[in-house]
Amino acid sequence: MDYLIFSLSLMLIYIGLAQLLHVQFGMTGIPNFGVVGFWGLGLYGTGVLYVTYAVPLLPAIVLASVLSGVVAYVLAYLVLQRSGQAILAATLALAAVISTLVVTEKQLTGGVKGLGMISFPFPELGSRNVVYFIFLVIVVAVLIWGSAKLRDSRLGRQLIAIRDNEELAASLGKDTAGVKRMTFVVTCALMAALGGMTAPLHQFLVPYHLAPSLTFAVWIALVLGGKSHSLGALIGVFATFGLFDILIETYAPVPTEQAILLPNFKLFCYGLLLVLIIMFRPSGMLGEDGPRVRARPRPTPTPGAAVREG
Amino acid sequence: MLLLDAIFIGLLEASPLILAAMGFTLIYYLNGFMNIAYAESVTFGAYFAILFNVVLGMHFYTAILPSMLMSGVLSVAVYYAIFRPALNRGVGPTEMIILSVGVSFMLRYGLILVVGPENLFLNEPNISYLRLGWMGATNLQLIALGLVVLTAGILYWMIYNTGLGEQMRGLANNHDLAMASGINPHRTSIAIWFIAGCAGGLSGVFSGVFAQVTPYMGWNIILITMLVTIVAGIGSVRGAAVAAVVAGILTAFITLVTKPLYAEVVLLMAFIGVLTFRGARTA
Repeated sequence: MDYLIFSLSLMLIYIGLAQLLHVQFGMTGIPNFGVVGFWGLGLYGTGVLYVTYAVPLLPAIVLASVLSGVVAYVLAYLVLQRSGQAILAATLALAAVISTLVVTEKQLTGGVKGLGMISFPFPELGSRNVVYFIFLVIVVAVLIWGSAKLRDSRLGRQLIAIRDNEELAASLGKDTAGVKRMTFVVTCALMAALGGMTAPLHQFLVPYHLAPSLTFAVWIALVLGGKSHSLGALIGVFATFGLFDILIETYAPVPTEQAILLPNFKLFCYGLLLVLIIMFRPSGMLGEDGPRVRARPRPTPTPGAAVREG
Repeated sequence: MLLLDAIFIGLLEASPLILAAMGFTLIYYLNGFMNIAYAESVTFGAYFAILFNVVLGMHFYTAILPSMLMSGVLSVAVYYAIFRPALNRGVGPTEMIILSVGVSFMLRYGLILVVGPENLFLNEPNISYLRLGWMGATNLQLIALGLVVLTAGILYWMIYNTGLGEQMRGLANNHDLAMASGINPHRTSIAIWFIAGCAGGLSGVFSGVFAQVTPYMGWNIILITMLVTIVAGIGSVRGAAVAAVVAGILTAFITLVTKPLYAEVVLLMAFIGVLTFRGARTA
């Protein structure tokens, strides 16, 4: 039961990350391949502050997120106005740098020996993992609601304009570089906050947590669910992490000899799913929602549309 | 002396990287997307070498050629089965990269499901240590370096001096114009994907024989390969070779003066810095 709650909590973290990636890539068109880097900065930042400097959990998460935001700002300043492929490579490189530094800076992070323990907040409560799970549900719900609100706002339309044609958006007098940078910094800081929230789940942090497979798991989930749909992240994580990591790994009757190959089989299936979805349904299972796909306003607009447009 | 050591060690260590970067660049130049699945050309090259060298018992040097060719064939097969249909469907460059990540996962974990996740070792030929003045290297390293220089030279000649290279450059610069002037895009694409796959396979054989053969070996060098390719400028094979050599020498130099792990950090940060100036602007 505890393990199921752990898995479900971790799934919520994945949904949150995929939702933030939806804002970065699905809305704004920034291909961030360093998700694990920002998340990991939050995870280890929180861990180091909590364990080494005895900072309480909540301030530690906030501080780690701010740190991650600063790193994101510097990276954004350097490469965000370059081509998508350059951004992709730079974010991937940053994630590699962070995971290497976690191994080398032993006096802070414990290196390969690991860092611990980080316990759930509110020691006076009973069954704290359930309380924490409910807290994560609220966090993820707020993220999904927030990104849906964002999409329908002026800022959201500006982000979509940047994604579709940045030169055009810039020629309309929008500060596209500034808006993009701000969006990137805020979403990366939120990824780090989710990383900080992961710390009590893992309790004991090891560099293995920062393997790039997390980035790809989040990407695959988002692309599968629908990168430009507000619920794409949710559905995508259910269909990948929920189906494979929770249902199959926990409940499927697999003989022990084959069980060690199961994670490899899972990643093979992820790859296959990704290929099929890009080939046959590039917008993902849910497609795209939001104002962009609605037909041009007719001469007599429907009341609902008029409210949304305002 | 330190600098000379760094150059020498860097060249020896970078030899697989040079080939991988050149092959990666060819595909990037021709089709305009970064093919992450190229990592698997490298990995499969090493595993084909295991097949010929360990399973079928061929001598290491004779196993190099068939491993290389098989890797090229695999590359063409992947192109035909997945990337060509995707390009024909008009999938954008970023989506192509995600697609190639999917292909990479399929190939890598499919390979693990078939051969298992264990690290394997090639049967190396007799290794003797040679001294050249103050520097030392094994005969294997020197042969590898020689073969890499030879292959890189052939590739370079092919791209800048032969009809195939001209056709490739034509297709990359203006696809419609190239087709209108009678260049068959299929034949050129097949040739380029085959050659790129061969270069990756050779790179994998050498990385495998220097250390060990693992399912992740291609993946471990693809990041550096990507950065080298972008920094070198889109599709400049010349630039890719130079950048790979510089990256190798830089890594060797930093490794000599600090801890090896910091070399990677410094190298990656340097690449991010260079991207600031070299990456194509969007707006």
